[in-house]
Amino acid sequence: MRGRPNLALLTGGTLVGLVVLAAAVSFFWTPHDPTLVDAARKLREPGGGYLLGADKFGRDTFSQLMVGARTTLYVGVVAVGIAAVVGTPLGVVAGMTPRGWLSELIMRVNDLVFAFPALLLAVMLGAVYGPGTLTAMIAIGVATVPAFARVARAATLQVMVTDYILAARAAGRRRPAIAVRHVLPNIGSVLIVQASVSFAIAILAEAALSFLGFGTRPPIPSWGRMLQESQELLFSTPRLALWPGLAIALAVLGFNLLGDGLRDHLDPKLRRIRADG
Amino acid sequence: MLTVEGLHVRADAVELVHDVSFTIAPGERVGLIGESGSGKSLTALSLMGLLPEGVTASGRARLGERDLVGVPESRVKDLRGRALSMVFQEPMTALNPLMRVGAQVAEVMTLHGRPRHEARERAVELLERVRLPEPGQIARAYPHQLSGGQRQRVMLAIALANGPELLICDEPTTALDVTVQKQMLDLIAEVAPALLFITHDLAVIASMCERVLVMYGGRVVESGPLRDVFTRPRHRYTQGLLAASRLTPRGTRLPTIAGSVPPAGRFPSGCVFRNRCPHATPACETTPALTGDGHAHACWHPAD
Amino acid sequence: MILYLVKRLAVLLASTVVAAVAVFAFMALLPGDPAEIALGVNATPEAVADLRHRFGTDRPPAVQFLDWFGGLVQGDFGTSYVTSAPIGPQISDRLGVTAVLVLGGMAVALVLAVPLGTFAAVHHRDPLGAAISAASQVGIAVPAFLAGILLVFVFAVQAQVLPSGGYVPIADDPGEWLRGLLLPWLSLGLVQGAVLTRYVRSAVLDVMREDYLRTARAKGRGRTGALWRHGLRNASVPVVTVLGLQLATLLIGAVVVERVFVIPGLGDLLLNGVAGRDLLLVQGVVMVLVAAVLLINFVVDVTYHLLDPRLR
Repeated sequence: MRGRPNLALLTGGTLVGLVVLAAAVSFFWTPHDPTLVDAARKLREPGGGYLLGADKFGRDTFSQLMVGARTTLYVGVVAVGIAAVVGTPLGVVAGMTPRGWLSELIMRVNDLVFAFPALLLAVMLGAVYGPGTLTAMIAIGVATVPAFARVARAATLQVMVTDYILAARAAGRRRPAIAVRHVLPNIGSVLIVQASVSFAIAILAEAALSFLGFGTRPPIPSWGRMLQESQELLFSTPRLALWPGLAIALAVLGFNLLGDGLRDHLDPKLRRIRADG
Repeated sequence: MLTVEGLHVRADAVELVHDVSFTIAPGERVGLIGESGSGKSLTALSLMGLLPEGVTASGRARLGERDLVGVPESRVKDLRGRALSMVFQEPMTALNPLMRVGAQVAEVMTLHGRPRHEARERAVELLERVRLPEPGQIARAYPHQLSGGQRQRVMLAIALANGPELLICDEPTTALDVTVQKQMLDLIAEVAPALLFITHDLAVIASMCERVLVMYGGRVVESGPLRDVFTRPRHRYTQGLLAASRLTPRGTRLPTIAGSVPPAGRFPSGCVFRNRCPHATPACETTPALTGDGHAHACWHPAD
Repeated sequence: MILYLVKRLAVLLASTVVAAVAVFAFMALLPGDPAEIALGVNATPEAVADLRHRFGTDRPPAVQFLDWFGGLVQGDFGTSYVTSAPIGPQISDRLGVTAVLVLGGMAVALVLAVPLGTFAAVHHRDPLGAAISAASQVGIAVPAFLAGILLVFVFAVQAQVLPSGGYVPIADDPGEWLRGLLLPWLSLGLVQGAVLTRYVRSAVLDVMREDYLRTARAKGRGRTGALWRHGLRNASVPVVTVLGLQLATLLIGAVVVERVFVIPGLGDLLLNGVAGRDLLLVQGVVMVLVAAVLLINFVVDVTYHLLDPRLR
């Protein structure tokens, strides 16, 4: 494989790079104010400074897409961050003491949380605290914890039987020291891959939640809500559904490919370790 | 009965087996020795038509009147498991984990036309023939319930089921415990119709075979009757191999062959052994032919 | 096997109880009192207290939980604080619709994924096999509701051969029932099929490298014959695990797809419940969905054990 260009990494990196670029630029500049409602521009056709046209409220689609990228990344980063920060230590602990009661407890709770998909958590949180970006992020993050914990545990189990860990244990090093000095650096690449894959899943979840009205609140643009708003106009103005749909699909594809590419790039031996959620 | 002439095996541009020729007569037991990477397993797999994807064989190999190499899969597959069978090195993974042992033995018979109920009965007989205790019970077991030695006996039962003309064994005891190796070898020697036995273990060859072929770097470098080759090796590689395996008095150093086997495609031109051979001269840059009646060798500077 | 079944069943029951506690506790966190919400801001304290007593929300939380959970066991989900309608019958009506939606989606996914994934594995060196892999990668990136919108655009807006939404009960008109479900099934099935294709492909690829496949060929089988007889059942072991996870994903996907196609299933009921702040209804639907996920996991684990004699 060495020497052959990593097509997945290249394509995935480019797509993710585009989303990041759009989000970054949107802080300084968008063609128009994405939230500006203007009846005169209602359903304006593409062209003349409105690259992709305007929606039923006269908001510029391209500007909305750019700021929507920001929402998507924001939710993804926080959700995956929660999952990684909570899930990784749990998985490492469970993997280092595979036969202990603590490990058993962690994995049982993990299985239980796994029965609460992001959408249900978000709906419950939304019912209690009112829907919004924060509840969506927390729900997606908590729902992603089990995937991280499982992957971290599987990778730790593999690392724990390697010679250098056995040597470190024989030398009498304490478990926390081994975890930080030896286990974490060695499962890092697995976690990076998992983060990329989880990011893709988080984008899908955020889009679904916004579509249902449990995600980002108006007027902040979000791809999922753009889709929802466009559904009633599918018969007359299908392009309004096309662009946010394409944005979601390409962003998810980008993070999935990035994950696959990183997996091959970082360590081909690790191909088998992958969470299913 | 088995005639191999000018067999070549290649993967893309790399030639893995070069111009191998030998014969096996009915009832004869022939050993194929070599280190890993010598091409001995590929030689066997090409006779079975079981080369991995991307690896192809050319040349001539015939079992009786039937061609084995260069014919379509649909014709060779009818011979596999019927006219010639093979036992592999690794018994732990060679059986389907989800299928009962008896069914796996019966399968090779139903595949070649025996009625199902008859095959079932004969499967138990075969398990008994390979000296498995309680054959009826073993037939109902799943592979994971058997030991490595027992599984290898099952593989042997499968190989013998249709009364093949030739049995090929590729390191059949390497993965087994030392204590069961001997029993397995005795059993193979007893039941094999004609045998092509592949190993890197000289002691095993000595107890099993009448004739040996020594392979190195994808070529046969020496061949002949077991006694001649073992007592008077001609090729310098065979000589080194024997010297390395001979029991030495305590305190003396075990003689070894210098260097290690190069990876596929990295063998020197001319004599493939010359980069490790203490007797190599510029003459060895040309390829030596395998010459000699009965006891043949391919070496420019043979041992006397 | 019996021992395993008993143990696994115990785990299922315990997780369901813990899940019920979690759902109940979560909903109890709710700021605001159902009685106050029902009566509005101008209600007298006496009226609120009276209604609270009738709802039973003036009792300690533990008692309320036991009352609720005890009812669940008997199929009684309580009576809505908002509409005063019993919740159980609403859920059971909707459950059937969602189950049909999910199982149909799963069927579409399987019909697509098993042949395509197997083909992609067997022909993994050919352009067509690579094309299937690439297509499944793209399919994964499309959320079910987006697939739904695309399908509506193609089949309802452009070709005008299928309805863009709505649901006709099978008892009323089986033909219309089927026509109405085709697009929702496809929306769920195409996406899950793409995910499943990748798993089938990698499972079959793994199996193709197994020694016992070579043994099968040494017995006289061709490549295809060996794969059929010995490979596919072995490949199905890891796929079954994924299938369970997928059913759970489909259940949640169905909630969204019901919204796209205006189908009166559990998802629709749940979202209406949230919109109407009908907490007991939300609590009941969430519990049913979570219990379904737990039950699916249970069935998957048991199937896994049945398929693989090494685990028996």
